[in-house]
Amino acid sequence: MSLLKVNRLKKSFSSPEGENINVVDVDNFALTSSEFCGMRGESGSGKTTFLHLLAGILSPDDGVIELEGQNTVDLNSSEKDSLRAGTIGYVFQSFNLLQGFSCIENLKLAMSFGSNYSESYAEDLLKKVGLAHRLSYKPSQLSIGQQQRVALARALVNKPKLVLADEPTGNLDSKNAKNAINLLCELCRETETALLVVSHDERVVSNFDRQVDWNEINNTDSEG
Amino acid sequence: MKKRFGNLFHLSSRGIKQFIFSSLIASLSIAMAGGLFLSTWKIKEGAQKSFKLSSSGFDAVLGARGSKLQLILNAIFHLEASPGNLDWEQYELIKNTRGVKEAYPLAVGDNYMGFRIVGTIPSLLTEHEWQEDTQYELNRGGRVFSESNKEAVVGSFVSSRLGLKVGDTFHPYHGLTFNESSKHDDIYVVVGILSATGTPADKVIWVPIKGIQHMEGHASEYANSISAVLVKFKGIAAGMELSMKYNRQGNQATLAWPIARTLAEFFKRLVWFEEILKAIAYLIALMSSLIILATLRNSMNERKRDFAILRCLGASRSFVTQVVLGQSLIISFIGALGSFLICFLTSSLASYFIRKETGVMLEPFTLDLNAWYVFLTIIFLGLVSGIPAAISAYRVDISKNLQHTT
Repeated sequence: MSLLKVNRLKKSFSSPEGENINVVDVDNFALTSSEFCGMRGESGSGKTTFLHLLAGILSPDDGVIELEGQNTVDLNSSEKDSLRAGTIGYVFQSFNLLQGFSCIENLKLAMSFGSNYSESYAEDLLKKVGLAHRLSYKPSQLSIGQQQRVALARALVNKPKLVLADEPTGNLDSKNAKNAINLLCELCRETETALLVVSHDERVVSNFDRQVDWNEINNTDSEG
Repeated sequence: MKKRFGNLFHLSSRGIKQFIFSSLIASLSIAMAGGLFLSTWKIKEGAQKSFKLSSSGFDAVLGARGSKLQLILNAIFHLEASPGNLDWEQYELIKNTRGVKEAYPLAVGDNYMGFRIVGTIPSLLTEHEWQEDTQYELNRGGRVFSESNKEAVVGSFVSSRLGLKVGDTFHPYHGLTFNESSKHDDIYVVVGILSATGTPADKVIWVPIKGIQHMEGHASEYANSISAVLVKFKGIAAGMELSMKYNRQGNQATLAWPIARTLAEFFKRLVWFEEILKAIAYLIALMSSLIILATLRNSMNERKRDFAILRCLGASRSFVTQVVLGQSLIISFIGALGSFLICFLTSSLASYFIRKETGVMLEPFTLDLNAWYVFLTIIFLGLVSGIPAAISAYRVDISKNLQHTT
């Protein structure tokens, strides 16, 4: 059963010169529940914009995004907030952890926007990613690899149906990158969460059974 | 809900920590504005109330022809110089006038260590009620001076400042200000210490009126003259009648009556000073609002990314707005508490100096309804100052403010 269905999704931006630049133009894209998918594409080709559209961070110019049968394009702002809080987990290349908060606080904060607040679950997740001994550490006190593990745990803390990972290994060395991808897949498998990873790195995308080429599904010829 | 509130507070306080210096400056300026406003108003209210209550149970002052206010300040509050002298007969005359319940002569002109020596008759301290049903009391072991001896009763404030106690002796000094070279030869013995009253009686040294009149070195014409007469009427009619007699028909003496009205007119004259202080307080309040505004704007520029992350995690627009408003709330709350502290300190300081100069004791600082209005106004102004930054947080563009795009 399809968890995510995208139809005729379009997004364009105006350039500083006033020119209209089409960034996303996807006819069809779908993801089933618990499915893992790796999407490859060059930097600056619109992958992040695509993920932002899926997460309701941006609104499309046209098209439909169905998540669990509901067209998220029609949702209002607060419904989109709830969607991001409960149904979608997001992993960033630069981790985007809140610097003033400890590891456990970063997870608890994300949890507070969802509907199932459980401190023990947040601690369990951090234990699973090997940070049981770093619960009260601030991000600046952690290594890059450890920061990414906190970010992975945070994306899953509200038991989302779908995790969107945007270049999750972009800031990691090859060893840490492999570990991060393995960990992400393991966590998503355990929680039966669908996973969409976008990356320019072939080594990352090759980890997934289903691989999609962004340039093949995106009908624009733009570099934006 | 509790967690959400905790996170809100954590995020707001983090914004303050991040900009601790400008946040503290904002709080301090709020505290100064609120403190100045509150103190101006508290000291004025307190002084007006206390001065009105400090008429020491008298309705009028009879003195030499001149300003009523000067008479009151001199005879009741022991401030300023006497406008002139009256003959002893004037005292006898008013004392025996129908409608006059009590009359006490005063003679001034000497001091001891800067504290005024006031000559009067013993019955002022033994019979007069300085407030309803309350007479002056002496500390244990003391008594009132006798009319014909060189004895003194010391006010409680003078006693505590100079350490004078029963049995001590002192030489009076000529004039109302202390000058070491103008010492009289007379020696006075302290026979009593007046219990504290919170009125001007506490800050003078009381001696028999004859002592002042016949003090060694005083001109012989002083022997029959007095500085003023403190008067209490049986009813208001006597006041009106005597006011007419002395102030309209006569030309030798002035009757300052009623004391409360003259003091009210005096305070009205000080309104301009109060208005200036208020204007300064408003200016500082405006400045502190601008500082909050600037602090939060700067903070917003640095925190847009944090807010974008929060929004991406599912925080609503209203949540990030509340974070910014929470920040301005904390700044203004600290400022409001600071304004109470400043008000308490300045009121205490003003109270000390007013007591030192006039003997009048101001009421201690209390948090009455008006103080809470000021508190709420500060919080309100703080929140209003936070609105532009809060709107900016509300409108934060998640996509633009999240680093890295592919």
